[in-house]
Formats: sequence, structure tokens, C-alpha cells
Amino acid sequence: MTTTHAIEVEGLTKRFGEVTAVDGVTFAVESGEVFGFMGHNGAGKTTTLRMLLGLTPLTSGTARVLGREVGRETIEIRRTAGYLPAHYTLPPDMTPRQFLHYVGAMFGLPRDVVAARTEALLRRFDLVHAADRALRGFSTGMTQKVGLAQALLNEPRVLLLDEPTSGLDPLGRHELLELLRELARDKGVTVVFSSHILSDVEALCRRVAVLHRARLVAFGDVDHLKAQHGARTMDDLYLALVRKEAA
Amino acid sequence: MIRLQWLDYLATLRERKTWLCGAMLLYAVLSIPVMLARPPAHVQEAIAAWFGHGGPFVLFMYVWIDLAMNKMVAFLPVVLASGIVLRERDVGVLSILAAKPLSMPRYFALRAVSACAVMATLHVGAQLLGLVYFTARVPGFRPLAFLAAMTPHLFAAIFATCFSAAIAGWVKHRGASALIGLAVLGLLLGLSLIGFYQPAWRNLTLVNPMSLGALALGNLDHLGPKDLAPPMLALSLLSLAAIAIGAAGVRRMEA
Repeated sequence: MTTTHAIEVEGLTKRFGEVTAVDGVTFAVESGEVFGFMGHNGAGKTTTLRMLLGLTPLTSGTARVLGREVGRETIEIRRTAGYLPAHYTLPPDMTPRQFLHYVGAMFGLPRDVVAARTEALLRRFDLVHAADRALRGFSTGMTQKVGLAQALLNEPRVLLLDEPTSGLDPLGRHELLELLRELARDKGVTVVFSSHILSDVEALCRRVAVLHRARLVAFGDVDHLKAQHGARTMDDLYLALVRKEAA
Repeated sequence: MIRLQWLDYLATLRERKTWLCGAMLLYAVLSIPVMLARPPAHVQEAIAAWFGHGGPFVLFMYVWIDLAMNKMVAFLPVVLASGIVLRERDVGVLSILAAKPLSMPRYFALRAVSACAVMATLHVGAQLLGLVYFTARVPGFRPLAFLAAMTPHLFAAIFATCFSAAIAGWVKHRGASALIGLAVLGLLLGLSLIGFYQPAWRNLTLVNPMSLGALALGNLDHLGPKDLAPPMLALSLLSLAAIAIGAAGVRRMEA
């Protein structure tokens, strides 16, 4: 593995008692790419992302994010990473503006920087009209926009998104995919896009890792993988991989 | 960190449970003078026996500390702090916040300090409101002695909040944390004045932190810094210890 990798994972394993959630997974994500992380629910995608941020300890294996070792330099990793979990709630008594200021303070960013970034993100996600309304009554789509805004507030170099398009309407989804392309292209942000919506992964990612029942079953260039498995679409590829594993 | 602490304090202040606590304290302030308009004879006799005389101000302070504020200190810290970090974990807020560059013990300490600050705000607010209201309603009310006597009680309230948070840090279940907090604080507060009833046990009761908050009750006529400072210092140290113990409890907690 070379230093151009933003994320390097080797033999990553996570066990919860008798259950193996992630089993010896090895892959690497290049700097500035939008990397697809595919697999059905329970395949181990979320656990892998959580391990990368030190939210759950590794059972074995190693992982590095931007050259920093997971488990030993967790706080430094979090300082340079943005994260949107698949399942979360926003503080119901806060407004989006208050919440973004709170998150900015957690990163220790200067007040004026937080204020400027907050306003820019509120505009970017079309939340200005709702910026001072309590988050309690927000729709799923609006909640997801605030979730994405908080993930971008620290201008992360690595962005870990777990099912980010769920809850978004078609327009919101299109805008998000466009934003992620722009972040990778213009700002060199490394994006790990975890999803089971294969069309989103196909639209966004050149390279993918596919998890199935806690194990990595494919990793590499999408076109190469498709050719290798005789698949025309991402759906075909995924089904071919899963069926091969089941056989 | 100071900015984050301030924002967290404001966020805690805006929570519904804070408004509930504020409403309870307001009720206590407004109701006590009404209840004291005709105190039962046996209460007056008991106070005369315990405190040497049954003057109206001593009677009022006993009722205010033991029947009102001590009950509040058994209940409000549990409402404010028994679910800190646990509630965020259970509702899903922690899955976002735990990914920020703040370790779980530091996040716990942040939330615990905010809960203490809110408890202090409510406590001070109640005393200041009471100061105005009681001056007009309570015969023989002495504002300075009232404020002096309630200052160590404020520190006891802060300790109770830290203690409740520490239980949350180790129990890790909101319901159990609240029940244990209520039971232990209720017991400590129930025993806090026993040194006045049984002078022979007075020194022994000083190991009860909640007794330190009510010590001034036995010396309302001559309260000075040397009476007030030691219990306040002891309660401050105990509060810091409780936060540190609670923070150690959440070290391995996952969002």
C-alpha cells in the first residue's frame, strides 16, 4: 500500500461475542476518490465505517486513515473526517443553526469561521428558511440535509457517508451526488459512499468494495469487476457476486 | 472548549426537562409561605426542641431547606443528569456527536458540567425569587442569613447533580440510573438533618455530603465565612470526584 491511499484497511475483523460482523477485510481507498462501499443490510459496512472512526474497537487487523492509525490516533482522525451515520437523530430542541454552531465548537473552530461555514452550508442545502426552527419537526429529507451539513462543517479531507441518499427525494439525491463529485474533484476530498442503492454507487464511484456476510467478496475498478463477472450493470455484478458466494 | 461548554449549557437550558424543573421550583417558592401561614403545632414544637427556639425565621428556614429544597435536590438532579450521554445514545444523537474529536469521557464531563450549571441557575434563580417574595410574605425574614444559609445548599445541589451523572456513567441504563439516583439521593437527604435531631450523631452525619449543604441551619444567627467555606470546599471536591468517576465509567461506551 502506498501513501497515496487515504484509507488503508488490512485484515480488519470485528466480533460481537459469537457474531462476526466484519471478517478479515482488506482494501484501500485512494486520496480524492469517491469509493463505493456496497453490501446488503448487515453485511458489515456500518461496522467497518464505525471502526475507522474509533466508534467501536477493532477485534483484530489494522486500519489507517490519512496515515493515522485507528485506535491510537482516533481523535486526530475524527478531526479530519466527516461522518454521516445511517441511523441518527438530531437534537430535537436545537435549530439547524444552533446545531451547526455546536458541532463547530466540538471541532474547536473559531467562532467567525463556524458562522461563515454554517451560513454557507445552510444556503447550499437550501435550509435558510428553516435555520431557526427546532429540529423536532423536521422531515426525513430535511433532517438528512442537516446531517450532511454537519458532516461537512469541518471541511473534512475524508468523508464517510453511510446510506446518505436514504430519505432524500430525487432532486435532493441528484444534488447530493453532484456535491460529492464536486468535493472529490475540486477539493480532493476522499469520499466513502456506503449504500445498498446500487444505481447511486454506479453513478458515483469508479472503484468499489463489496461486502457479503461480513467478508469482502470483491474490490476494485467497477468496469473491471463487471467484465470479470460478465455483468452489464451494477445490479448484475452485485447479484453475480452474491450468488457466487451462496453457491 | 469554553465556547462548546457555553453552547452546551444553553442547549441544556432549552430542554423541556429544564422547564419542568423550573416550574417545580417556582411552585415551591410560591407555595411555602402559604403552607407556613398556619404551621402545625407539632412542627413548631419539634423545631423548638431541635433548634433551641421556634422563631418564625428558623421555622421558615427549616421548612424551606428540609421540606422544599431538599426534596428538590433529591429529584431535580436526577431529572437533569441521570440520563446524560445515555439519552443521547438511546435516541441516536450520540451516533453523530461521538464521531467528533472529543473522547467519550470528555463529552460526559461536558454534559455533566452543563447539567450542574443548569442546576445552579435554577437553584440561584429560586433563591433570588424567594428573596423578593419571602421578604414580603414571611414574618421576621432575614435576607442575608437566608442567602448565606442557601449558599452551601447550592453546592449540595451541584454535588447531587454530579453524583446522579456519575451513576449514569456506570449504570448505562436510563431507567435504572434514575431509580438508583432517586433512591440514594433520597436516602442521603432523608438522613441529612439527623445531626440536629440527635446531637450525639452530629459528627457521624458529616460524612453525608448532603448534611454539609444544610449545616447552616444550626447556626443561622452567626453565619460567617468559616462556617460556610469548609462545606462548600468539600462539596466542590466531591463534585469534581463524581464527574471524574462518571467519566471513567463511559470510557468504553459505544454510540
